[in-house]
Amino acid sequence: MAHPTQLGFQDAASPVMEELLHFHDHALMIVFLISTLVLYIIVAMVSTKLTNKYILDSQEIEIVWTVLPAVILILIALPSLRILYLMDEINDPHLTIKAMGHQWYWSYEYTDYEDLGFDSYMIPTQDLNPGQFRLLEADHRMVVPMESPIRVLVSAEDVLHSWAVPSLGVKMDAVPGRLNQTAFIASRPGVFYGQCSEICGANHSFMPIVVEAVPLEHFENWSSLMLEDA
Amino acid sequence: MTEEGGKSQGIKILGIIDIQNTPCARESILHGAGGSLVAGLVHFLATSRVKRSFDVGLAGFMLTTLGSWLYCRFNNAKLRVQQRIIQDGIKNKVIYEGTNLDPTRKTR
Repeated sequence: MAHPTQLGFQDAASPVMEELLHFHDHALMIVFLISTLVLYIIVAMVSTKLTNKYILDSQEIEIVWTVLPAVILILIALPSLRILYLMDEINDPHLTIKAMGHQWYWSYEYTDYEDLGFDSYMIPTQDLNPGQFRLLEADHRMVVPMESPIRVLVSAEDVLHSWAVPSLGVKMDAVPGRLNQTAFIASRPGVFYGQCSEICGANHSFMPIVVEAVPLEHFENWSSLMLEDA
Repeated sequence: MTEEGGKSQGIKILGIIDIQNTPCARESILHGAGGSLVAGLVHFLATSRVKRSFDVGLAGFMLTTLGSWLYCRFNNAKLRVQQRIIQDGIKNKVIYEGTNLDPTRKTR
């Protein structure tokens, strides 16, 4: 999850997010090299005694500063496109969950086998137990089996929302009247937090998403318990 | 301050790239520094031009860093793919062991 003064991404909890992290490192290295070049050129320009007011054109440098940026863009574009198409793959999901955005909570429906549905409200700050996270905890978590492809169908009942979990590398707009599809695999067990990512009114910042990835046995026990309580 | 997983807060050069926690970053920068030194020095010894040697040194730094980075990251990506294949293989072996889907089972 996020921590104070954090600048970078959260640790990856899915293969797609791992790929995104690696691509980000690659893009950042290229940015670093370009920044070094620009900084060097600035220092050189400021400190040079040479001045020539009568240069009109120079084919060589024009070719260099046309070809070089094109090469750099290709170096960035190729891995970027690879990940873009990788993110669109939906490989035979084991489970489909519907995530519906409301003002101001999420509701989850597991309807593959039985009719299981519940709402997920943020736990108010005054009701938190010691060790729980402010503005991030929810009363009912979306529990999923780990290491299984999960498909999430995202929609909304009223206004635009967005279902996002940064450590899983997932963000999908919840549009009323539209069903958007996304998928993820939780590589490790854990609790992954996200927040609504589309402005949706007064309590937009107070409708978090909590995904809990557990071994399959635990997931089956949890779903049986939830069905009994319903 | 430590992040999750016990990672220490890395050193960010130019405030951009975290060389401690980014795979291949430290090696690439060190290779780049070495390449820059060699290129600049060789050029200076050959031409005795100071400013141009600095320019050549910078070019050497960029090319060596980029080359080392791309090579290391490519190998790193191959390793990760192999790791995933092995992990899937171990998982499937456990699931399919003893059944007729077990690839190691000898058919009669």
